[in-house]
Amino acid sequence: MNRNSRTRCVLLCAGFIGLFSIFSFRLIYLQAIKHDEYAGLAAEKHVHKQIIHAQRGTILDANNEVLADNIPVQTIVADATHLNNREAIVDLVSKELGLPSSQVAEKLSGERRYIIIKREVPEAQAGALREKLRSANLRGIYFEHDATRVYPNGSMLCHVIGFTDFDHRGIQGVEASMEEYLRGQDGFRFIEHNRAGQEIVPYRGQERPSRDGYQVHLTVDLSLQNIVENEIDAAMEEYSPQKATIILMRPQTGEILAIANRPDFDLNLRAEAKPEEMKNRAIIDMMEPGSTFKIVAAAAALNERKLRPDSTIFCENGLWNFGGAALHDHRAFSYLSVRDILVKSSNIGAAKLALSVGEQRFYEYIRRFGFGERTGIELPGEIGGLIRPPQAWSKISITRIPMGHEVGVTPLQMTMAMAVIANGGKLVTPRIIKSITTPEGKTISSLSPVVLRQVISPETSREIGDALRGVVSDRGTAAAAAVPGFTIAGKTGTAQKVDPRGGYEQGKYVVSFAGYLPAEHPEFVGLVVLDDAHTSKPELNYGGLIAGPIFSRVAEKAARYLDLEPHEEIRKAIPVERVEKTTPAERIRKTRPAERIALTNASHH
Amino acid sequence: MNRSRRRNCNTVNAASLARWIVVTAFLALAGLSYVYLTLQLYHLGERRKAVENELVSLRTQNDIASAQIAALTSRSALQRRLKEGYLKMVPISEANIVRLTMPARSADDAVQPVANPSGTR
Repeated sequence: MNRNSRTRCVLLCAGFIGLFSIFSFRLIYLQAIKHDEYAGLAAEKHVHKQIIHAQRGTILDANNEVLADNIPVQTIVADATHLNNREAIVDLVSKELGLPSSQVAEKLSGERRYIIIKREVPEAQAGALREKLRSANLRGIYFEHDATRVYPNGSMLCHVIGFTDFDHRGIQGVEASMEEYLRGQDGFRFIEHNRAGQEIVPYRGQERPSRDGYQVHLTVDLSLQNIVENEIDAAMEEYSPQKATIILMRPQTGEILAIANRPDFDLNLRAEAKPEEMKNRAIIDMMEPGSTFKIVAAAAALNERKLRPDSTIFCENGLWNFGGAALHDHRAFSYLSVRDILVKSSNIGAAKLALSVGEQRFYEYIRRFGFGERTGIELPGEIGGLIRPPQAWSKISITRIPMGHEVGVTPLQMTMAMAVIANGGKLVTPRIIKSITTPEGKTISSLSPVVLRQVISPETSREIGDALRGVVSDRGTAAAAAVPGFTIAGKTGTAQKVDPRGGYEQGKYVVSFAGYLPAEHPEFVGLVVLDDAHTSKPELNYGGLIAGPIFSRVAEKAARYLDLEPHEEIRKAIPVERVEKTTPAERIRKTRPAERIALTNASHH
Repeated sequence: MNRSRRRNCNTVNAASLARWIVVTAFLALAGLSYVYLTLQLYHLGERRKAVENELVSLRTQNDIASAQIAALTSRSALQRRLKEGYLKMVPISEANIVRLTMPARSADDAVQPVANPSGTR
């Protein structure tokens, strides 16, 4: 090779080396130095974050009956950049989904990549649309898995269960209070699509699986709930009250066994419900309790050892002027024992019991019974009621508060107060949540009873309990609340309705009965409240005549369901009556007409 | 053939040729394997997607069936059927309930039936 040729070769090689070096440097620059930037741009173009939706946890009753469940649905979405035949797609989609074609056309008109066409489309309907799109070779419409909440029992327990919003967030009831556990955690997956919009599976990126929500088990027993719902419906039909509430609770643990309010609404048709129907009146409605509140005054006087159950108090023969105002009893009583003050429901007697304790101590007892503060039940929106401190009391407040006036309490607080008597003087936090489990059934949280405080001594609670047994007797104000075979303790209440404009509404009453069964070893405490019940005669509008019989029917059915053993003495009498083949309720009606007895003995309270 | 032509002829190195053939074949095989495996990867990806879709579909059907069972066996549904007369149920009257009394204790050391204390059921 001559010199010129060699020089040319060297130059050519050097040229190639230089050229490929430039290429190499450029490649290194793009692949290494600028890697992150271009990878990001590429990912932005092709990679999508696909959300893997977690399923919301179910809500179950104490016996695992489903109260709230999910049903799969589809959300129909579109990517306007993938649409290959806009007109045909608009026609097909609008026809299959029952939407106006103009509305669909407007949605698909732009170049947006994520357009929601319709939510909560049933699986069958979505499947039919998918098939038609495929057969017509139309692209750009996608189907996202979703779920909608369904409530198999409709309106039953509606105020407790609550409901969710569009984004599946709980906004009322247990759905809201247990949101943290029910919601679960969505997962995700980074995926890439091809030109046709199909996923390229080998290019899947980071992935995190979803975690479904936990199952929440309530303390409510649907069988007892059913009993309560049927009775409250019957009461609504018979008395047409404005509002009504029934609560059943286990006093030892604070477990709510059943709770029903009226008016109510269907959870599956919640969009049609009125705000008034959505209120859980057991915890957000404040009422003057009336004579059921007398248990607080009696408990305070006995617990302070100011008086004994058989100590007698002069009840002023039915009229007492105190602090410049007259206080009446529904009947003229002269001397009554502390026990009889509860049995006969004397207002004057109750006022004197509170006076014997003193304003400050009486106020302390009211608070110790849990009035004036939230009970702590796992439901949103609970109110604490209204108990004014003694500094804000008028001169006559000490005589009016013992008979359940000038105070605002919730039905649940009143049930708790009765549970204190049934539970040996212990105030227990009410509970509606029994446990929280994983979808596989593993328990992650099981709530135990919480004793808040010893309100009164066990001896005092026994003494009050003895007196309350007398209330549900021929001598008391609630003979009609009796349940054959069982001894019941309870107290009636009849309070005039507070007028929002001030004062009281004439002829309108809130009637109630709070009691427990069996009196010797209570299995449940119950409360029945009817606001503005309508009776054929005004003199029939009393707690003992309206709420008492409702309690009796609920308690009888509940005792049968719980298989409680009837009291021995009464059980012996049953075979004699069995010959007549009549129900216990009929037997009572035949032998002792409830209304007559209650009218004779009581009246106002 | 004249001498000058014979001089310009190169001899073939059989070993070298064989080596090149093996290397080339190996590279070709590797390339083809790569292409085949890549295609297999896509194919398996599609199958995986199909199986995932099938699983989702089965789970969806299962959820729908569960929700339907819950709705049909709910108390409200049963109550409605009862009212419609579809189910015939008569409440047991008190007269037809027979309660068994506890047998008298025979001896202190005998096996005794026990009852749960109140409030523990």
